[in-house]
Amino acid sequence: MRISCMQESLARGLSIVGRAVSTRSSLPVLLNVLMTTDNGRLKLSATNLEIGINCWVGAQVEQEGAITVPARILADLVNSLPPERIDMQLNARTNTLNLRCGRQEANIKGLDAQDFPPLIIIPDDETPVEVNAGTFFQMIDQVAFAAAQDENRPILTGVLAEIREDTLTLAAADGYRLSVRKEPIVSDARQSSVVIPARALQELRRVAIADDQPVSMLISRNRNQAFFHLDDVDVISQLVEGNFPDYRALVPTHHNTEVTLSTTDFLSAVRVAFIFARDASNMTRLQIVPDEGDGPGKVVVTATSSEHGDNVSEIDATVKGAQMEIAFNARFLIDVLQAINTPLVSFSTRDASSPGVFRPVNGPTFEHVLMPMHIGR
Amino acid sequence: MSHPSQRWIIHVDYDAFFASVEELLNPDLRGKPVLVGGSPEGRGVVASCSYPARVFGVRSAMPMARALRLCPQAIVVCGHYRVYGQYSRKIMSMFDEITPLVEQVSIDEAFLDVTGCERLWGSADRIAGMIQRRVQDELGLSVSLGVATAKIVAKMACESGKPHGLVVVPSGHEAAFLAPLAIEKLWGVGQVTSRYLRSLGINTIGDLAEYPAAALERTLGRHAHGMQQAARGIDERQVNPGRERRSVSKESTYMEDVRERSTLTRTLLQMSEQMAAILRAQHLVGKTVRLKLRYHDFTTITRQVALETPTDQDQVIYEQVVALLDQAWPVGAAVRLIGVGVSNLIEEGGYQLSLWDHTDQRRSRLNVVMDEIRERFGDDAILRASLLERPRDR
Repeated sequence: MRISCMQESLARGLSIVGRAVSTRSSLPVLLNVLMTTDNGRLKLSATNLEIGINCWVGAQVEQEGAITVPARILADLVNSLPPERIDMQLNARTNTLNLRCGRQEANIKGLDAQDFPPLIIIPDDETPVEVNAGTFFQMIDQVAFAAAQDENRPILTGVLAEIREDTLTLAAADGYRLSVRKEPIVSDARQSSVVIPARALQELRRVAIADDQPVSMLISRNRNQAFFHLDDVDVISQLVEGNFPDYRALVPTHHNTEVTLSTTDFLSAVRVAFIFARDASNMTRLQIVPDEGDGPGKVVVTATSSEHGDNVSEIDATVKGAQMEIAFNARFLIDVLQAINTPLVSFSTRDASSPGVFRPVNGPTFEHVLMPMHIGR
Repeated sequence: MSHPSQRWIIHVDYDAFFASVEELLNPDLRGKPVLVGGSPEGRGVVASCSYPARVFGVRSAMPMARALRLCPQAIVVCGHYRVYGQYSRKIMSMFDEITPLVEQVSIDEAFLDVTGCERLWGSADRIAGMIQRRVQDELGLSVSLGVATAKIVAKMACESGKPHGLVVVPSGHEAAFLAPLAIEKLWGVGQVTSRYLRSLGINTIGDLAEYPAAALERTLGRHAHGMQQAARGIDERQVNPGRERRSVSKESTYMEDVRERSTLTRTLLQMSEQMAAILRAQHLVGKTVRLKLRYHDFTTITRQVALETPTDQDQVIYEQVVALLDQAWPVGAAVRLIGVGVSNLIEEGGYQLSLWDHTDQRRSRLNVVMDEIRERFGDDAILRASLLERPRDR
């Protein structure tokens, strides 16, 4: 193998695939990155057997070949090289990769490319779903944060991806909240419903590309894998096995109070409340006061720490229904309000111990169901 | 002659607190020697004793068996810890009405900084008198108070007046007040130090105050200065309201060493219930659960775990300590003492409701109901079935 490429593009490629390199593994080859010449480009691959990433880098290929080298050493080396052309040559007999850049030269000892586990072979019979990257990434941002962090119920660490007729739905829930986002799609893909690890989607999200590029998603039921293809990046993930709980049953159908208010005002009020709430189980109280003829209605956000003090903020709001008080974990409120990118947000609930539903006003089909906190005193 | 930075500090200590609450719950106990604490057959200790019991030489922290030898007619009651917590909270909230600078030292002890409260409530000694009357009239409990310009002096003034005392040390008389007291009475001087000080000819606090500083420093090192300042009634420490209760804990020594897991876990369940009840009564939740084990050879270990969500629930504490036990305890090892602690306490701010698992909500409601039953009928009125004594345990 003999190839040349620019330091900047190799560094970018290594940082993208680096997210999938195992941090510790009994298989030494998984600590490596696979470098393969591929149709006049350099293909970088890494996997920890749960997630795999391929990234293609523009290169000048003089002689085809493949090798795996320790990802950490290669990335550290490339990051410290000047932004110039890097010439690489493999000594196939010793599995050593020689790199030259400017007046620097290095040799990295590698392992045979044959030992690297194959990432995926796209089954021809599956039809991909295409969504534009900006939309898909927004869907991930609105849903993945609600997935469980702990492994108590592994199924909840994943994001449900459902393809039904002309709609793609992503949903995630931990013990306290549920996010559901729907998006119309045009696709001949088979109806399917799988659970993708939230971490895989978050890794995909980190790959910076233009918003209008397409992302194609392909589910391989047989291989139990999800496959995402971007312009020059593939992300492959194992699916989470098991049945995702029926999220539809968790979305309330009735409410007694509905509030519409400014998303940014609400978010900044909750952020201030959080300063005091974090001493008291993160509890933030929302007092909802209906319109009183002359003035608008309002939401009063309060948090109290008996040790450090308290805080009250008022926000104008359109209130339909009865006056009430409900309390939420401030951190969860911040999470959902950050995920809503319309100027107005609506919030509805039946009573102080029933779930609250947050929706963007005049935005995409997004619902976030959040359980309140029981008010102790 | 008041100095501009002059402070007025009140130290309040409840007299024979647990025993006095027991007397409120059962007026028949009044005037009788009452011991609150562990079982006399075991290695239990006295948690609190009434003044009639103290006449016989009984003190708190004394082994129950020894206390009963000193005072065989004493009535032993096992504690209503939740109720103690409630009374404590009622008294503490009375203090909160007077000044925001309240430092709760323990369940039955607090400092109040009443500097600048004169306009509102009158002088410090009037405030102290008002507290004593209000606690007596509203709750039927007796407290002792010390009033002084420094924490250490207020604390020692309070001690000197117990029970039901109110001792005021006027500004400028701090050293004179302390001087005649025996050196052991100085706050922070333990047995070892006092023995050592006495060997130097220091028998009273006054002796310590006047001892040549350089000589004292040669022998006591860096502690010498602070100790001598204390002896002179100089104590710059502030009343710190931030120092709330940082932990609750309970430990008990078995009558005979225990090797069976089932006995250990039953003790842990009982202790977890008591810890949780105290937390709920004080509206606190804890983030850290701790297990303490002392083996037959007196090697002692502690293990702790941080919780994702702070708790005041029996079952959560219990599950965590049992998990710690299973990690730490070599099966079959003889355990002499076992203890449970909950620390990293914050105010109970309510709990997060669950999206689909309603177990926590149900457990929490169950605990509230159990608390109410125990409050009315005593701690033994309702038990988890697993805590019922089985014949072979007797």
